[in-house]
Amino acid sequence: MQRLPLRYRQPSMAMAYGAWGLVWWLSATFTQASPPDFQSEIAPVLERYCLACHNENLQHGGLSLATAADAARGGESGPALIAGDSAASLLVEMIDGSDPAMPKEGERLNPAEVELLRAWIQAGAAWPETRTLTAREIWWSRKPLIQPAVPELPSGLALQARSPIDSFIMDQQQRLGLSMSPEADRRTLIRRLTYDLTGLPPSYEEVQRFVMDPDPLAYERVVDRLLSSPAYGEHWARHWLDVVHYGDTHGFDKDKVRPNAWPYRDYVVRALNEDRPYEKFVREQLAGDHFFANSRDGIEALGFLAAGPFDYVGQIEVSDGTMEKQRVRNIDRDDMVNTTMTTFVSATANCARCHDHKFDPISQRDYYGLQAVFAAVDRADRQYDRDPRTTGRRIELQARQAEIRKELDEIEARIRTRAGAELEQIEQSIAALREAIERARPLEYGFHSALATDQNTVKWVQLDLGTTHPIERIVICPCDDDFNQIGAGFGFPVRFKIEASTDPEFLQHVSVVSDQTALDVPNPGNLPLEFPTFGLDARYVRITAEKLAPRLNDFNFAIAELMVFSRGVNVVTEASVQALDSIEAAPRWSARNLIDGKYPALAEAGLREELAQSQVQHQQCLASSTTEEERIAQVRSVSELAACEGELATLPSPAMVFAVATEFKGEGQFQPTHGRPRPIHVLKRGNEATPDLDAGLMEPGALSVFTSLGSHFEPVDDNSESQRRAALANWIVDRENPLTWRSIVNRVWHYHFGRGICATPDDFGRMGEVPTHPELLDWLAVWFRDQGQSLKQLHRLIVTSATYRQGSFHRADAADIDESNRHLWRMNRSRLTAEQLHDAVLLVAGRLDRKMGGPGYRAFGFLDDHSPHFDYRTLDIDSADLQRRAVYRFIVRSVPDPFMAALDCADPSINVARRNETLTPLQALSMLNNPFMMRMAEVFASELQILSDKVDVQIEAAYQMALGRRATDEERQELSRLAAEHGLVNACRLMFNLSEFMFID
Amino acid sequence: MDRFSAVHRSIEGDNLSRMSRRDLLWHTGGGLGGIALSSLLNSDPLHADSSTLSGTGLHHSAKARRVIQLFMSGAASQCDLWDYKPRLAADHGQPWDPGEKVELFQSAPGHVMAAPWPWQAYGQSGKWLNECVAPLGEVIDRIAFVHNMVSKSNVHGPATFMQATGFVLPGFPSIGSWISYGLGRSTDELPTFVVLPDPRGYAPNGPRNWGAAFLPAEHQGTAIDPHARIPINDLFPPAAASFVSPESEQQTLEVLERLNRRHADQRAGDSRLEARIQSYELAARMQLSAPQVLDLSDEPQHILDLYGVECGDVPSDAPMNEGQETRYFGRNCLIARKLLERGVRFVQIWSGADNGFPRRNWDSHEDLKRDHWPLARGMSRGVAALIQDLAQRGLLDATLVLWTTEFGRMPCSQGSQGRDHNPFGFTNWLAGGGIQGGVTYGLSDEWSWRPAEPDRATYCYDIHATILHLLGIDHTRLTYRAGGIDRRLTDVHGRVLTELLA
Repeated sequence: MQRLPLRYRQPSMAMAYGAWGLVWWLSATFTQASPPDFQSEIAPVLERYCLACHNENLQHGGLSLATAADAARGGESGPALIAGDSAASLLVEMIDGSDPAMPKEGERLNPAEVELLRAWIQAGAAWPETRTLTAREIWWSRKPLIQPAVPELPSGLALQARSPIDSFIMDQQQRLGLSMSPEADRRTLIRRLTYDLTGLPPSYEEVQRFVMDPDPLAYERVVDRLLSSPAYGEHWARHWLDVVHYGDTHGFDKDKVRPNAWPYRDYVVRALNEDRPYEKFVREQLAGDHFFANSRDGIEALGFLAAGPFDYVGQIEVSDGTMEKQRVRNIDRDDMVNTTMTTFVSATANCARCHDHKFDPISQRDYYGLQAVFAAVDRADRQYDRDPRTTGRRIELQARQAEIRKELDEIEARIRTRAGAELEQIEQSIAALREAIERARPLEYGFHSALATDQNTVKWVQLDLGTTHPIERIVICPCDDDFNQIGAGFGFPVRFKIEASTDPEFLQHVSVVSDQTALDVPNPGNLPLEFPTFGLDARYVRITAEKLAPRLNDFNFAIAELMVFSRGVNVVTEASVQALDSIEAAPRWSARNLIDGKYPALAEAGLREELAQSQVQHQQCLASSTTEEERIAQVRSVSELAACEGELATLPSPAMVFAVATEFKGEGQFQPTHGRPRPIHVLKRGNEATPDLDAGLMEPGALSVFTSLGSHFEPVDDNSESQRRAALANWIVDRENPLTWRSIVNRVWHYHFGRGICATPDDFGRMGEVPTHPELLDWLAVWFRDQGQSLKQLHRLIVTSATYRQGSFHRADAADIDESNRHLWRMNRSRLTAEQLHDAVLLVAGRLDRKMGGPGYRAFGFLDDHSPHFDYRTLDIDSADLQRRAVYRFIVRSVPDPFMAALDCADPSINVARRNETLTPLQALSMLNNPFMMRMAEVFASELQILSDKVDVQIEAAYQMALGRRATDEERQELSRLAAEHGLVNACRLMFNLSEFMFID
Repeated sequence: MDRFSAVHRSIEGDNLSRMSRRDLLWHTGGGLGGIALSSLLNSDPLHADSSTLSGTGLHHSAKARRVIQLFMSGAASQCDLWDYKPRLAADHGQPWDPGEKVELFQSAPGHVMAAPWPWQAYGQSGKWLNECVAPLGEVIDRIAFVHNMVSKSNVHGPATFMQATGFVLPGFPSIGSWISYGLGRSTDELPTFVVLPDPRGYAPNGPRNWGAAFLPAEHQGTAIDPHARIPINDLFPPAAASFVSPESEQQTLEVLERLNRRHADQRAGDSRLEARIQSYELAARMQLSAPQVLDLSDEPQHILDLYGVECGDVPSDAPMNEGQETRYFGRNCLIARKLLERGVRFVQIWSGADNGFPRRNWDSHEDLKRDHWPLARGMSRGVAALIQDLAQRGLLDATLVLWTTEFGRMPCSQGSQGRDHNPFGFTNWLAGGGIQGGVTYGLSDEWSWRPAEPDRATYCYDIHATILHLLGIDHTRLTYRAGGIDRRLTDVHGRVLTELLA
């Protein structure tokens, strides 16, 4: 931006319109409630109009507007803006007026945008130091979703194409001088397809049948067979569980088990096998309770939001109102936001937790709006009925009970009116008696020692009277605490002694007042015990318990009051109390309470007797005022109530799923919100200690960058928590949401080819990759969205393409152009995942149990201690439970299964969109020596020995079963020799370690 | 192409068979500093020549090549070990009133409580140590203390994650994993990052404390149990596998290699297949090497005595006692030295297991005297021996020793003999390569409660930045892209503590 000579400068708006313009401008400025927000309002304008020529690299006129510092520094004509003084700011001068100097090319700013910049500068030009602007060209993933035309191929190539996918792929290839590889042979194809769609290898018979099948649609029939196999849902559910970071324990320390996580896992398997339309799949997982109330799937699917870690100690033990608790809840919601946004829209919203997103247009406000969606939920065991009819009947019965209770209340009201003053009088006296009883047992209970696990732990408490007194008697008053239904005599020692002394340490001048340490003493109940002391001189009085009172699973020492009489007066008023240890839990328990004059009075017993008599009178009074008709009605109602109760009890008991909930059984400091949202504020720097109170409470919302989608939801009813989640679900599945549909088809592509069209399936932002075939991605996304949103149809479309059916062999000519095969001139060879390997070994050995669903199998020894212990060395490999598919593995967060971890299984602490793939010595050791692998080699060998007692026949069979092909002569000879010399088991172990077993061509 | 570049290139790979250098960058996110890339292509930049930068791939010259992290689980008490505060002795038994409300984990603040044992000044630096860590007096002038450490959590799990990974939640790589990723492998006979857990069990969070999270699994810590027949998971066939003999093993592996090589030869252009064959060769080497490291029979008696590995042979179910702690911890320290000698880059030794009864860690809520004495005596004897032994072998100059714990303990009592958690102030110390011995940086207040200058507290980020710095790494440039962020060990924080550097 070059400064123009003064005479050419455009008149400013104020000059052009005179005083009227100035007034108009002032009012515009002052009526604006708050200054424009940089991130959501100013940055887009600057990026759209200015940054193309004034950025970090390209600096026309020496000016960059990339950062606050750049703008302040300015260019050849001086600073671009002067904070607080829009009139003096060059920036405004350049864009303002009827024929503005800038932008030199393209669209001009509209007056509203000019005013926005002006108001922003006037208000101080707030521009976060960390925010760097770049030229605004809409990032690929945020562009509106429009289905491109399928490219037309030259006729020669068109013949090779089997689907629109191939047209896109080949179109790009031919421009680069690449071409497709020939189709793979049938054995390779069925092996690839079966592993890819079901996670399991084909049997040798299946391979042979396909190889021999003359039907031109033989391949398509295999695809249909596999997609309708229940194994399809099991295998693809595992992919989904990676993404949502499903686990069966909480994680952190005290890694408690989550016995009710699995219904969510089973829901995913079921939904995929039933080919749930994707929109419904999303709605169920975010707000199934809202959209599909009382349905089984609608509740079980909510396990999605609860799938990640849960800080048990932080949630259950740390007190409300502490910073620690706020931190715990912030992280908890952050995980829900992150899981939702990466899973469904491949956006890294959580990058905006501490500051506006540095690379994508996601503001901190957007982020905390997303947190507000989850402001009223916690992860907890949620009750539901598997059968919605049960729910219906339960609601009916409960409604009937309410009706009956109302009838009973009406009858009672009539009776009371009739009973009149007499009844009132009796009730008043009952209330008075109750109060008296309560008074007789004061709120201040007494002294309570620390708890002991051993009953013979010695505890003491003593008084320092301040000065030495001649003491006559000592009185001990026992406690009364209903804890564990103990009541009177609570904490009174079973054996004890009383001593008096002038030495605080009780080392010398000790007089034993009473020694009850030889035999157990009967519990005195509420009876004060008195001990004569005959005027001995003492300043200190100590009671030592040598055998404590039983409490719950532990022992304690408690007494309500200790009195010391000298010259007829209780002299404890000046005393202080010391104890070996003391639980200080005011007001009930405190060492000070020992001399506060408050103790359960003997009077209480008499009061209780009086109360019982009054209650009899009360009954009589009511009875005499009841008509016969009313009595009969009461009897009938009460029996009907009982019948309802009885039927309720016979209904199938509710099931539990670990999901998000607003109602659940609380524990410790972890209590349900009952749907009341917790206040969510923008946290400055993401710090719980510095909420931005000026910004107000955050309302639920989503990403504001998609203005047409409505980022801020319709006002949600605070009484309907699920509306918050439902609104987010609606935003995600909106047809016009450009991210959602691209995200899911890209994920599916990723699993089929080993790399997504966008190679970062969890990040479609600027830090992610750009797609290799953007038109194909858009074509697929629209096709999927508009053609029933069937994942199975999407799989079918992909795996029947010529692209997918190519061989995986190397071609030097193509590799020279595209070594990493981004343009898919061949199929990618894939390594088995941990689960595929596990399941294949079991299947080949003949041990795979195909039972579906239910609680996960535990491949570890378990000890539920203070912190649970998981030991993978102590397990019985032959136990039937362990023969199930790995998707049913009970997943421990803190202690990973070492075998599965060595094979790169997903870490349930993080949302895993792509698994890492390693080939380490430790993996080789696990493949060779893991007890599971060794045992399966033995089982495999014994299966082969049943087939034949000839070694070469056994080896041939092993090749067919493990690799789906015949052994070559050379292979048969080599392995037969090994089997003959060292046993068939070693040959079987070797088979499982073959690269051919581990890789799929 | 040498063997290692082949292995590294392929194991870093995604599911695609062959990658160009640019693809490698692409795969690892493009945000990778030059350093990790060079380590992928050269197996061991540090051993090549740590004094010069050319060809090392380091950001600057390194002072240290390897690290030992000593992790006291349960929160070791700074004010009973080395943060000497006369005020605690003077006010012992008085109500504690620091002048403001204190948020504690379990209890209300009790009375001021002095350390149960006496203090004494050691070495030329005159640093005061408590009797329970007196053995460290021998090496006190090699140690640099940081007394103003602060944690972001008051709960064991998150706080342990923070010291181990830099974050208070799961899902982030441990410091050992970052260093493995940054510097690459330094030996093909042992894992790069080895963990020696407390023999009584795992600390809170379990093996996630040494997990690789989003980094490739090869960078995760490998736990060694020196007492087990199979000290590393699946290192040898299980005892039940009677069909395996040395002869069968040799022939099986020979045939396997032949068949796998034939398979690879038919599939040109896929370096993973060759890498997989090599991984079996490396596995065989690890089988030979690991037992040698754990075998202490070659160690002379004076070394065994120095570490105290023959102390206190008592039943393992006995309550914690000094003899047993010395024996366990000393053995792990000695094994750590042997691991470092054989090229392991990062060794993590744990003292203390999870919470449970009886107490088996430093979390002394009920009885500090009972727990801290045996743990501190055992730990300090082993660590002092390790530092002396490394020094006499000339290894200490290039070995960094970090002593840490998840947070500290309060200067006031809990009950009458315990101390509650103190995330507001605790101690770390460093010794060895590039560290200036005998200094104390970052003081705590008069109570050993909080940093003397609360605005200048030290966080694990600063400790981690300092360690990476001494290894030749700029902590802001060691990155890995995960979930849209170029992740760092030090998040967006970290200052190299130049005050501690030699």
